[in-house]
Amino acid sequence: MSSTEVVFLAFFSSGFTVGFGHCVGMCGPIAVSLSLGLRQGKVLIPHLLYHAGRITTYALLGAVVGLTGSFTGVTSRIVGIQKGVMIFAGVLIILMGLAMVGWIPLGRIFTDSFRPIGFFSKAFRKLNAAPSREAYYPAGVVLGLLPCGPVYTALVAAARAGMESGEPLQGMFTGLWLMIGFGLGTVPALLLVGRITSVRWLTRRELLYRISSILMIALGVYFIVKALLF
Amino acid sequence: MLFCLIVMGIAVFSFSGHARAQGAQSVIDCAIQSGPCTKSFADGTLTLDITPRPVRAMHDLTFTVTFSGVKPASDLVIDLSMPGMPMGPNRVVLKRAGDNTYQGTGVIVRCPSGRRTWKATVAVPDKGSAEFVFDVVY
Repeated sequence: MSSTEVVFLAFFSSGFTVGFGHCVGMCGPIAVSLSLGLRQGKVLIPHLLYHAGRITTYALLGAVVGLTGSFTGVTSRIVGIQKGVMIFAGVLIILMGLAMVGWIPLGRIFTDSFRPIGFFSKAFRKLNAAPSREAYYPAGVVLGLLPCGPVYTALVAAARAGMESGEPLQGMFTGLWLMIGFGLGTVPALLLVGRITSVRWLTRRELLYRISSILMIALGVYFIVKALLF
Repeated sequence: MLFCLIVMGIAVFSFSGHARAQGAQSVIDCAIQSGPCTKSFADGTLTLDITPRPVRAMHDLTFTVTFSGVKPASDLVIDLSMPGMPMGPNRVVLKRAGDNTYQGTGVIVRCPSGRRTWKATVAVPDKGSAEFVFDVVY
């Protein structure tokens, strides 16, 4: 096994470890939100597309820090965007929480009786519709910009690996490749959360739905507050 | 029920970040914002300094370790971690910069949970390690 493959595996295992130890708590609400917008049996592909989008963003960031060999030079330029993405994620989680129990006029989007009326309802319906599963990829690309400690840590290491590779172009590919490894490592934990929470038998359990939706709304507010303080 | 427990678990984990940060603050043993920190190490002392001050997250930092009464055989590694929150491996390699001084550059990353307590574990080959717990500025 070459040294590049060893480092790739190190990034992958780092992603895998923080996936279960960190991402489930910090990004789990997003995975839950995405699952709640889907019907049972149609969860895997949208989630994989979402994670592919997220990994695309990580890879691009890895390529840039690998090319420049500087972590702080890149992150200082995207902090404003990250703040916006975090607020967007918070709003998304709140909307999903409200829609779960029909507290906003979107209809009960997770039941078969859902009939969309109005702009937001149609947008949700579009997200739910089978031909629009591709929407989860750009969602992943955007949400991949969420500020995240372990992603920063991986980018610091990718920048260092890029710098040590000697050539800027080689550094770019090193950073890209390593961040793909890290991103792939984080997938199992979030995929598991997304799969477990995407169950149809919940649709008739009113109390569970209400409790969960309140928690979702609270988590969304928490995301927004953290974004404003970030 | 499983769903509810999962959502509740995630919620508790997410919300508890600040509370755990408060708990972690009780073990802070290094006022790095005020100056270098020194600890007994092997048969001498080990001093850690991080500059520039204030020590900020997401900024390039210089880590300096100075020994007294100890002679390391090779370069050192500082392992940066956040107590109670897995953040992935963040290691700074320190190379010899003088008789008893080792230096390297690194970045302490920012956690969106708001936690700012970090631990630097200075690993000295064949001699052991020393830990410093301190707060960074956001």
